Amino acid sequence: MTRRILSGVLGVVIALVVGAIIMLIEGYEPLATYGALAQFSLGGIGPLTTTLKNSVPLVLTGLSAAIAFASGPVNLGQPGQLVFGALAATLGGLYISLPPVLEIPLLLLLAIAGGALWSGLAGLMKQAFGMSEFIVTLMLNMIADFFTAWVIAYPLMDRKAFSPMTPPIARSGWMPDIGPLNSSVLLMLAAVVVMWFVFQRWRAGYEWRITGQNSLFARLGGCDVRGNFMAVMLVTGALAGLAGGLVVMGGPHRFLKGLGANYAWDGIMIAIMANNGLVETLIYGVFVAAIQTGALGMELITNVPSEIAQVLQAVLVLVIVATREYAAVVFDRLAARRQARERAA
Amino acid sequence: MNIIVGLITGMISGATPILLAALGGAFTFYAGIFNIAMEGMMLMAAFFAVLGSFLFHSWLVGLLFAIAGAMILALIFIFFSVTLNTDEFVTGIALNLFALGSTTYLLRQIFKVKGVFTSKLIDSIPNIHFPLIEKIPLLGPVVSGRNLIVYLAVIATIFCYYLVFKTRFGLRLRAAGYNPNSLDSSGVRTSRMRIQSLLLCAVFCGLAGAFLSLGYVTLFAENMTAGRGWISLAAIILVDGHPYGIALISLLFGFFDGLGLFLQGYGVSSQFTSMVPYIATLGALYVYARRNRERERNAL
Repeated sequence: MTRRILSGVLGVVIALVVGAIIMLIEGYEPLATYGALAQFSLGGIGPLTTTLKNSVPLVLTGLSAAIAFASGPVNLGQPGQLVFGALAATLGGLYISLPPVLEIPLLLLLAIAGGALWSGLAGLMKQAFGMSEFIVTLMLNMIADFFTAWVIAYPLMDRKAFSPMTPPIARSGWMPDIGPLNSSVLLMLAAVVVMWFVFQRWRAGYEWRITGQNSLFARLGGCDVRGNFMAVMLVTGALAGLAGGLVVMGGPHRFLKGLGANYAWDGIMIAIMANNGLVETLIYGVFVAAIQTGALGMELITNVPSEIAQVLQAVLVLVIVATREYAAVVFDRLAARRQARERAA
Repeated sequence: MNIIVGLITGMISGATPILLAALGGAFTFYAGIFNIAMEGMMLMAAFFAVLGSFLFHSWLVGLLFAIAGAMILALIFIFFSVTLNTDEFVTGIALNLFALGSTTYLLRQIFKVKGVFTSKLIDSIPNIHFPLIEKIPLLGPVVSGRNLIVYLAVIATIFCYYLVFKTRFGLRLRAAGYNPNSLDSSGVRTSRMRIQSLLLCAVFCGLAGAFLSLGYVTLFAENMTAGRGWISLAAIILVDGHPYGIALISLLFGFFDGLGLFLQGYGVSSQFTSMVPYIATLGALYVYARRNRERERNAL
């Protein structure tokens, strides 16, 4: 445990140093830039709640990727599942109008169903024909992207808008603000807690994890490996769909052009940083959200372009993973040396 | 008649970047690296091709810049995956993100634009005309007048086959993937073969990227590879890396790519025509999976 925290912190520190070196080469002041990043993402109630709200799709897609990778299925389809979830919630919000108590759960269920539908399609192709879900989900991402682009440009287009987008969804489907905090954050936290229990404490989660570690062992032990594969695909698709629904319901309240592109690979990236751990996914998700949120403010007061956040994220992934794996080797070597010394004494 | 020529030339242009990237990926495939960084390498190459061509007004410099750009990613890949032993899948994904982020960043930093950069100062890669062949009806306009990179891709396919299957280098390359331990014990370092395969991959992806931004069109757009690297990965997996098989599959994808553009002329909205190559990839995967299953059944 201490090892994991130590190598994680070390990785973040090294990554920030590498990022600082890149800024120095570009002729920017790293300390001022990081200061501005922190100020606009964590400094005060306003920035902090914005960061938390922006972390919702990141954490949920990260959770989706982490659970999938830890259980075996290589579900890289979070971007496609997210836009399908968002589309389903938007459709519901445009055509159904109920009181908020009913409307919000209904739209959330629609979002979950939309995401699960798209991941279920990939799962079905694997089950029925043996097509590798790795490439299938990637191709389905592209198809989902073009399909939703068509939907918002033709059948659901808002005639009054200048760029492709749908009209706003029914007011009763907006996620309410609780004080300064948007309630989608609470739903995200609830999803993390529920998934943690399912994954770490329930029998289903145990079977998924065992299958992920050794599917032959799981099958011989009596797990329904094929059924579990489908279950994991559906659950992870549902999480990504929920992310899409919350983006629409908590944010712009309509399906904007390029909605999915903003979160395309972030979930997978966060799951990789978190080494597929669920609590770690939450931490890294908020961390990445802070970088993204702070970058916009940083651009205003320093002359560093906000795109540096994307470079910083890629550096973070590489360095954190490399540090973790290299640190494991170093720790093992230290432990071995200590044992040898104790034995000699 | 013109429609057929148009479809075939469209097929060739669509196939070229996928073919080149897949040939590059085939080297790493044989060397036993799960390399998914072709997408990022192509994107880097496409950006640096425009940069080089813009700065020096020469497509040749652009081409060299493109290869250098892809090489940067290959070197990072080597550092993390071969030297530090980081997971190849993770490294590949991170590199693709890095390529997307850094090209977007550099586009803003160097050219001061967001989204798309184009300029009259960019020198595009020329089309090659063969005076005599051009006169042959039907065949002439297809074989002559294509982009230089297209002819390079044809040569590259044969070169790749020769290198992998007919040379000592190719034998060692395949051994690195097939049985690294026995290659190591025979005195050839597997890690060195893997490094060389990644560098070769960068050269090919560099050509592919340069074709995208200096041949197919003369501009750089954010994320302009649009999944072509992933399609090339699918092509490699579908034919187990065989260069001639890759050429065939690439032409098939190219055909669907061209078909999409062709349908657009008939009023099908562009969002649907853009889906066609990806749906074709799914179709190809289906055929592959079925063939695999039958083979397994016959083996029992």
